[in-house]
Amino acid sequence: MTPWIDFARGPLFRLSFALMVLGLLRIFLVTLLGVKEAYQRNPDKIVSWKEIRRQTVGWLFPVARLWKQRPVYSTLSFLFHIGMIATPLFLASHVLLWRNAVGFGWPALPQQVANWLALLVLVTGTGIFLGRALHRGARKLSKFQDYLWPLLIMAPFATGYIASNAAISPRTYQGMMLVHLYVGDLILLMIPFTRLAHCVLAPLSQLVTGIAWKFPAGAGDRVAETLGFADRPTWVPKARLATEPTIAEPAKKGETRK
Amino acid sequence: MKSVMKSLARPLTPEEREKAFSSRKKEEVIKSQRLPVRYHVEDFEVEGRPRRFLEAFASILKHTNYRLALDHYIRVTTRCSRCAVACPIYDATHDPCDIPCYRSELLLSIYRRHFTVSGILRARLLGDPGLTDEKIQELADSYYNCTACRRCHFDCPMGIDHALVTHLGRYILSEIGIAPRALVVSTREQLIGATGNTSAIPVPALIDTLEFLTEDIQDEKGIQVPFPVDQEGAEYIFFTAVSDYMMEADTLKGIATVMKATGDSWTIGTGYYDGINYGLFYSDQVMEHALQKMQAEAKRLKAKKILMGECGHASRTAKYFYPTYCGGKDALPVISILEYTQQALKDGRIKLDPKIVTERVTYHDPCNFSRTGWIVNQPREVLKAFCPDFAEMAPNGRENLCCGGGGGTVSIDEIRAYRTTVSGSLKAEQIRRTGANYCVAPCANCKKQLRELMEDQGIECEIIGLHDLIYKAIIFPPDREPAEEEAAADSSDDVVSLPKGGTS
Repeated sequence: MTPWIDFARGPLFRLSFALMVLGLLRIFLVTLLGVKEAYQRNPDKIVSWKEIRRQTVGWLFPVARLWKQRPVYSTLSFLFHIGMIATPLFLASHVLLWRNAVGFGWPALPQQVANWLALLVLVTGTGIFLGRALHRGARKLSKFQDYLWPLLIMAPFATGYIASNAAISPRTYQGMMLVHLYVGDLILLMIPFTRLAHCVLAPLSQLVTGIAWKFPAGAGDRVAETLGFADRPTWVPKARLATEPTIAEPAKKGETRK
Repeated sequence: MKSVMKSLARPLTPEEREKAFSSRKKEEVIKSQRLPVRYHVEDFEVEGRPRRFLEAFASILKHTNYRLALDHYIRVTTRCSRCAVACPIYDATHDPCDIPCYRSELLLSIYRRHFTVSGILRARLLGDPGLTDEKIQELADSYYNCTACRRCHFDCPMGIDHALVTHLGRYILSEIGIAPRALVVSTREQLIGATGNTSAIPVPALIDTLEFLTEDIQDEKGIQVPFPVDQEGAEYIFFTAVSDYMMEADTLKGIATVMKATGDSWTIGTGYYDGINYGLFYSDQVMEHALQKMQAEAKRLKAKKILMGECGHASRTAKYFYPTYCGGKDALPVISILEYTQQALKDGRIKLDPKIVTERVTYHDPCNFSRTGWIVNQPREVLKAFCPDFAEMAPNGRENLCCGGGGGTVSIDEIRAYRTTVSGSLKAEQIRRTGANYCVAPCANCKKQLRELMEDQGIECEIIGLHDLIYKAIIFPPDREPAEEEAAADSSDDVVSLPKGGTS
């Protein structure tokens, strides 16, 4: 089993990590380019940057917002994210692996803290899974993958926790590591292609929305032209020029019914 | 916040639900249009509707910026339904179909299926037939249940703006002929009709009304307050919801009196005097053309600034889309009369008598003013300056609840029961709890909706505009010497005892 573990820890990890970084970089840049293009497409450059910044920062550190709606679910989700980001990044054995491979590292969390964080992920992960399954509205909205994701993400934490606390189940170390590594690699690989991409895209949401509310001038007429509406079903056969006088002329019967 | 919302919500009785959602349309119309929605739609081509919907969608994506938002939203949406509790409609119906995210997902799923590579491949693999007529019917129903109040935007951790998706969905629907007749008829009159405004008020009638208002002010206040018409080179050109000229005499009198007191030059143009822009609710093309008419009139009269009356959606379209469609940086600045009056009060150019309005007053934030944070405190500052008994609703300000008639739904008379029992139910409860005699709602749409709401829910509260109250309390002339203060108070006490004119 050891060669499989080494493969997952070595080449496969490097591949999935590289794909993750490149993939995330790509969608991040594509979104920014989209924003730039949309911004240039309309003459109105009045954007309330302050409001965009305020909302973005507010959602990156949402402590004050948790209590407003669905407080329990929101708090669980917030803690889940903290554990999910902090544990893999600052686990001593992960940092050590990284240091051995690349030559530099960063300070790690004490093992005890990492253990608690992993447990936090498992508890809150179960909580948000249940929060989805038990909330009538959320259930109606959710698709299969919405239930799958929390479970899939919890798998490496559960297996990693058991593997690093040998006392729990000494004989399953290799099996646990196998699941831990392959599921972990799979998740890394899938991040850019799935909704997990929100890890880099969510901070752009307010910007995207702010710019998307800026409509390009003349777009409405171009849409109608493309659709070939000589006789528009909704309101007007051919757009009237704004400068034409509209008041002086008397109403012709039938004209308004077009 | 949640507890406030929850305590306001009251479950609908089965009768109310039946009444709110029943369609009063004739069976044969529903059958021939194949569209069981509650609002009237003009006849349109029914055959090949899914194909035409997708063509319209593709065309809109090609020429606009919506693709940026849709691409982003399908990547980040987690469907957590946290927005549900922020939505006044979901709070009333508790129907999962009314969750903002569910509504957006209707359109996002069509986008994902037909306009993304992964969606097309997936459909090939799974044999998904794609968009169906039933789905379009669901969209048409769902998108006009929403009042586009944008409250849910604050509660999406992923930053999805469901109102933007609703706006797009309605735009696509309108391109295949599905748009409420109430909006379409008004817009047609505004853009190609003889009178050039949504209420079809001809110029002579407008002039008559203005002269009548001037006489009214003369009778009530003893001062000559003209409504300047077609004055070239005025500082401000004034646009308000044109229906105000028929329905809101007191608001207009208040505005004219404030303008008289400050002495700034202003004018109403007879070429175009309608601030209403239903394009915001269903079509970007309509929005652009209505704003261009505004621009043309401002140019004709060489006005320096655009002054918007008490109307939420009209002010928002002018403020946020006038620069888009009418010259970018060079566009004329747009200011609201609410900002203007607050500034005038601050500068001491108008004076209000705090002894006139002694009843309890509350303030309703029109969504189109407050959601962006543009106008929240200005009217409150004015009200607090002269209304000693001012009570707030909760929640208020940026997180206010919609009156229930937003997004153009207030114009659709056939869904009045829906508006007053479902979308406006929380608002009614909010107003009831303040115990106010006056509810100030500086928006033509909100006023109409709230009046119907008060009537249908049996609440005793008069819905008025901010300038209606100002008109009652304004001291004239504003630069009276302190020595005359006593006399001024006396004379304004006299004013209030005069018979109320023009409140119809």
